[in-house]
Amino acid sequence: MRNRLLMPAILLGFAAACNGPLDVTSKNTIPTPNAITDSSSARAAVAGMYHGLQSLDSYGETIPEVGDLSSDNAEFSGTSTSYGEIDDNQISTFNTAVLSQWAQSYDNINRANSILDKMGSLTNIADDTKAQLSAEAYFVRALMYHDLVKYFGDVPIILHPTTDPNAGSSITRAPVSAVYDRILEDLDSASARMADSSSTTTASAGAVRALRARVLFYRDDYVGAEAEAHAVEDDFGYDLAPNYSDLFTASGNSTPEDIFKLIAGVKADQQSYLSYDYFAKAVGGTYLLRPTRDLLNAYEAQDLRGQWNISFAGSRRYGSKYRSITGTENFPVLRLGEIILIRAEALARNGHLPEAVAEMNKTQARANATLFVLGSHTAQDVIDAIVAERRLELALEGDRWPDLVRLGTAATVLGIDPTQTLYPIPQSEIDVTPGLTQNPGY
Amino acid sequence: MSFPSSIWKFTLAACVAAPFAQANAQGTPANVAIVRGTVTDSATHAPVGGAQIIAVGTTRGALTDTVGAYTLRVSPGTVSLRVQRIGYAPSQRTVTATLDGTATLDFNLRAISTVLSEVVVTGYGTQNRAQVTGAVTTVAGQDVQDQPVAGIDAALQGKAAGVQVSQNSGEPGTGISVRIRGAASLSASNQPLYVVDGVPIANDPLAQQLSPAGSEVPTAITGLDPNEIESITVLKDAASAAIYGSRASNGVVMITTKRGQAGKARFNIDLSTGIQNAATKLKLMNATQYVTYMNEGAVNDGEGIQFLAGVDDATSTDWQDAIFRNGPVQNLHLGLSGGTESLRYNVEGSFFKQTGIVIGSAYNRANARVNVDYDATAKFRLKTSIGLARENNDRIEGNNSDNGIVTNAIGQPAVYHVRNPDGTFTSTADTTPSNNSEVYSNPVAIGTYDRLPSVTDHILGNVEGNYLFNSHLTLTGTAGADILHDHEDQWRSPLVVGNYAYGVHGVAQTTFDNTNHYLLQSYLTYQGGSEDASSLTVVGGGSIEYNHEASSYLRGEGFSSPQFQYVGSAANLVGYDGIPTDNNLESFFGRANYSYKNRYLLQGSLRADGSSRFGVNNRWGYFPAVSAGWVLSDESFMGDFTNHFGQLKLRGSLGKTGNQSIPNFASIATYGSGSYGTTPGIAPLAFANPNLKWESTTEWDAGIDYAPFHGRLTIIADYYHKSTSDLLTRRQLPCTIGYCSFYDNIGNVLNRGFEFGLNSENVRPGLNNGFAWNTDFNISFNHNEVTKLNADQPVSGNNYRDISRAVVGQPIGEFYVLHFKGVDPATGDAIYSDTRINAGSPQPKFWGGLGNTISYKSFSLRGFLEFSQGAKVFNLMRIFADDGGYAYDNKFTYALNRWQHPGDITNEPRASFDGTSGARTISDRFIEDGSYLRIQEITLSYKLPGGLFAMRGLTNARVYVSGHNLHNFTKYTGYDPDVNSNGTSNIDLGTDYYAYPRARTFTLGISGEF
Repeated sequence: MRNRLLMPAILLGFAAACNGPLDVTSKNTIPTPNAITDSSSARAAVAGMYHGLQSLDSYGETIPEVGDLSSDNAEFSGTSTSYGEIDDNQISTFNTAVLSQWAQSYDNINRANSILDKMGSLTNIADDTKAQLSAEAYFVRALMYHDLVKYFGDVPIILHPTTDPNAGSSITRAPVSAVYDRILEDLDSASARMADSSSTTTASAGAVRALRARVLFYRDDYVGAEAEAHAVEDDFGYDLAPNYSDLFTASGNSTPEDIFKLIAGVKADQQSYLSYDYFAKAVGGTYLLRPTRDLLNAYEAQDLRGQWNISFAGSRRYGSKYRSITGTENFPVLRLGEIILIRAEALARNGHLPEAVAEMNKTQARANATLFVLGSHTAQDVIDAIVAERRLELALEGDRWPDLVRLGTAATVLGIDPTQTLYPIPQSEIDVTPGLTQNPGY
Repeated sequence: MSFPSSIWKFTLAACVAAPFAQANAQGTPANVAIVRGTVTDSATHAPVGGAQIIAVGTTRGALTDTVGAYTLRVSPGTVSLRVQRIGYAPSQRTVTATLDGTATLDFNLRAISTVLSEVVVTGYGTQNRAQVTGAVTTVAGQDVQDQPVAGIDAALQGKAAGVQVSQNSGEPGTGISVRIRGAASLSASNQPLYVVDGVPIANDPLAQQLSPAGSEVPTAITGLDPNEIESITVLKDAASAAIYGSRASNGVVMITTKRGQAGKARFNIDLSTGIQNAATKLKLMNATQYVTYMNEGAVNDGEGIQFLAGVDDATSTDWQDAIFRNGPVQNLHLGLSGGTESLRYNVEGSFFKQTGIVIGSAYNRANARVNVDYDATAKFRLKTSIGLARENNDRIEGNNSDNGIVTNAIGQPAVYHVRNPDGTFTSTADTTPSNNSEVYSNPVAIGTYDRLPSVTDHILGNVEGNYLFNSHLTLTGTAGADILHDHEDQWRSPLVVGNYAYGVHGVAQTTFDNTNHYLLQSYLTYQGGSEDASSLTVVGGGSIEYNHEASSYLRGEGFSSPQFQYVGSAANLVGYDGIPTDNNLESFFGRANYSYKNRYLLQGSLRADGSSRFGVNNRWGYFPAVSAGWVLSDESFMGDFTNHFGQLKLRGSLGKTGNQSIPNFASIATYGSGSYGTTPGIAPLAFANPNLKWESTTEWDAGIDYAPFHGRLTIIADYYHKSTSDLLTRRQLPCTIGYCSFYDNIGNVLNRGFEFGLNSENVRPGLNNGFAWNTDFNISFNHNEVTKLNADQPVSGNNYRDISRAVVGQPIGEFYVLHFKGVDPATGDAIYSDTRINAGSPQPKFWGGLGNTISYKSFSLRGFLEFSQGAKVFNLMRIFADDGGYAYDNKFTYALNRWQHPGDITNEPRASFDGTSGARTISDRFIEDGSYLRIQEITLSYKLPGGLFAMRGLTNARVYVSGHNLHNFTKYTGYDPDVNSNGTSNIDLGTDYYAYPRARTFTLGISGEF
């Protein structure tokens, strides 16, 4: 009798165990509804937003690299197909680097959107904390939309997180002007909420103004750009670093020139690949891309920037702007050198030539370059000189291609089809977002 | 008498038997009867030795001796005795035995096909092959032994129809891809489920984080010693495998280890020693050829001369010779088995040591196994199967790594010396040869200074209890554990100039991984009816399995001295990880087999699996199967068919299986960690899919078992149609919402094919003056096709060169690159298509093996050929070694057939230092035919005469000499076309990126029994 009960007992035991063992919780992830619940977790989400900005698909590698690779500053020297296409300005709609840049930009935007939504709904966070965290999220969202609009033109504006896998059915591209309006609105929101922080590794009031200067500059609002750049230069205590090389030391030291830079870390998911990709193999890099001979020749021999940015391993030149092969150096997103040249060009375009030249001479002087002298030069001469100076000062920081596009000279300088001045919308994106149109020429 | 062996026997037997001795004494029933008899061949009347006699419904059994006689103790009364022996149809008869009396029962057995009388392990039970209605293949343990490879999966290559085994790499002890009836999954595992002695083992690849190489991930099966294997049964069709439900869609490999037989203690020893060397060498340029070619490329592109002819090519280094060596391989296996009728044991220990043919690599494995069967009472029996393994694997960075020894030996031009005159290794820091701007690291320095060892401890054991309620009903309960500890270290030395570690002053990594899998299962087996009329077998039960994995990982960089080689001395902690993860599985299963007169066979089964991995809306999956067999040759209307034409059985099956090898927690929306500087942070990680479920495979199979010529020829053939749906893929999301993809069940893959296995006893043993000849042959054809993907979007592989993909209408892994149209005779430039094309499949059209064993008296000669036809291999080495001279890598000698003058007709573009000839463009120019025919084994063995050694107690002594991988007939220009440098990827197949070459091995061995 005892034996006859054994089997049913065992089966009952299994039945009783049903579902209990099947409810297993993860110990290294948090279910999304439980992620942002209080000020501490909201601060963690803001740190996670900067983590996204610093990642390889964003500023840790892709954004600074493609900005030069597409231009006459850098060329492809490795075996990656996607970088080869970008160098040749013959980008396929399947290009993985372009997709990474697009995807990580929107990932960062989603991080900001998630924070902003929670700041609206949570009641257990102090108002000043909410204001500061929201301001940082608005700043990051503005920065990302500006990077998107520079490369892709019209882009979708997404302002809230979603859980609907079919959300793509209602997404369309917003015109460039609407994107700029949104960026400026976000910057206004950031300004209104930002405490006057002196941080240079997270968003600050100065960083919001600096980004505003850049955005207005790219929108050809030179009066606005000049005013914003002026305020940034005068009102926040920034100053040019004594030496150009101070900005890019392997240890990532702070300089008075820093406005907003991203912290790279030793941990693998916090590293930057800028040095690793540019360094020649003989010095431990992958040599994925390198400065062009054209850029090398653009520097005067005594220009300290050329000496710093380009080195040689045997007979092969390689990019040496970033010196931390372990990928730990902090990367500048906004620095005073750029703002000075924005102010210089805006001044020139607004007709203030001597002031423009004086601004330009600040970066030239630091670099031991021959100073531009106004003399009888025309306004266009001064503008051209400032554009050339921007190329030298900001080389390998991802500004050259957006500059050529902004100036409308990409096609002539690079000898490419004008339709190639916008990157393609990734085809995989169009596949799941029927409302997205492709840029012309793809 | 050999003194040491008796000591051994005594000690081992005492150790094993002691715990059971008392129980044994208590368990022996007092009232017994004896049945005696002889077993003879019905045709020849010769005695049949080694036949197994079983008292049906009890644990009692005996074996016939060499004159066919047996003695069996039974309980008094009427008992059914069943006799079975490979090569004979089983027979069952009843006899009445009285208390303390002796009854006599003789059997006449009818000879049938050896293959069709095998016992196959079906999962929760066994079946005689004659009753099987599904598609299963068996491989005898002896067929995977005496092979100079570490794992049984490698030894299976070419041995079983429908089973495709790929070596990926020749590195000792590394992973093997096993694909049963083609691969179906794009992102879940495609490895079969392994079940060892009834316990499914954890089949997710080990979390080996330290090897960057795709292919060098060992499978959990690597630690099993082939010498411990009694038999392997491969459940191929869904109907056979469906009893394992949500893990069965890749097929199931049932492994049974050896068990003890009642009788006096038998001590056996197998000892072999061998030597391996590289089977092939790549044809690379010597220094003069290289200097000429590189300078020509520089001149062609208007650059300066790169190397000084007459200076830089004064000496020429063969880097392959510098890294290759003769590697010894040794195997020692000791076994002790025996026991009483109620307590049987098998104790084994072995040691396998393999030194790699490339410097720095080695693999050692030690195994121990204790299998005990204890019949506690007439109703209750207990068995334990416990195996222990330790693997010490000195790996090297290889496949897919630019820091690999093989990589650098192929890449390094011959113009460099291995060492400087002062004995130090040459490096990028040296000033010779003339152009030293960009070279690889010195591969001999890597082999000397870098280390990548892993140590794995594997405990695989279970305890099974059987309670026999009566002769029909048995309850089986099993508790099993599969525990795997893995510890890996890596040291990349700063002394290797020119690599990453040189730049950062050394890299050390360490990882610990602990994988635990526990199983509890119980099931009830009912066996009723009579085989002569109708019989019914029903199995039903349930199981629960817990999987827990925990791992930790540290990576440090920056060391003050190369004396420090562990993370603790690093200046920077660069990477770290530590994750526990769990998944659990609850299952219920049932199966019924009905047979009418052994002529009409019917089987049905159902399994229900609940997995913690599935979404809350799809927690339970149900996997039904049916199959039927019809022994046509036994029908009366077939008349004398069997006598004239042999046995003929038709089989058909239909079943559904699943694949739950998807990531844990893939169904829920999560935030993960993402810190900024030193500020802890969180960031959105995964998008929810509460509907996520297993991949499901529906397969039908039609087969035939045919054994004409009195069973001397056996043919087993199957056609299958295997359709996998709900394919787990990363479904594209609009990246604009912040997530580019999530796991979803979208996509279908079809595998259909034909398998044919043949075994022919051309000359049967025992006739013709001791001459015998046996042939076995198998061939498999598989057609693989992706039939549906989300929005028809192709899915790319992981290789960043983006050459492989899954696309609707093509096989998985179809290469997708530019088409090379030829070399322009006017300019020497390569001409390519404007767009990429589907450029060939890495999957073979057919593959198989052919073995012949010829014996004459004491000599036996075995030859085995293995072949594969129609697979393409992407020789990724050529993007550097056949690139026209853009990279400074050494070049394949066929690049010397380059275009040199207008009008030259050749397929090799002109040399081009700046890449302007297009030679370096990735295209189908680098895709090669991977078909091959390999002389895999030739073994000559000699059975020592009994008389000479018998008095010393030695029996069955055998000496053999064998050669493995003796020659490979192939057009492929890499080391071996059976390669995959992305071994664990489901999409990146058939790529060769500096794979570790395959060894050729010569072995001398001896085995014997005391």
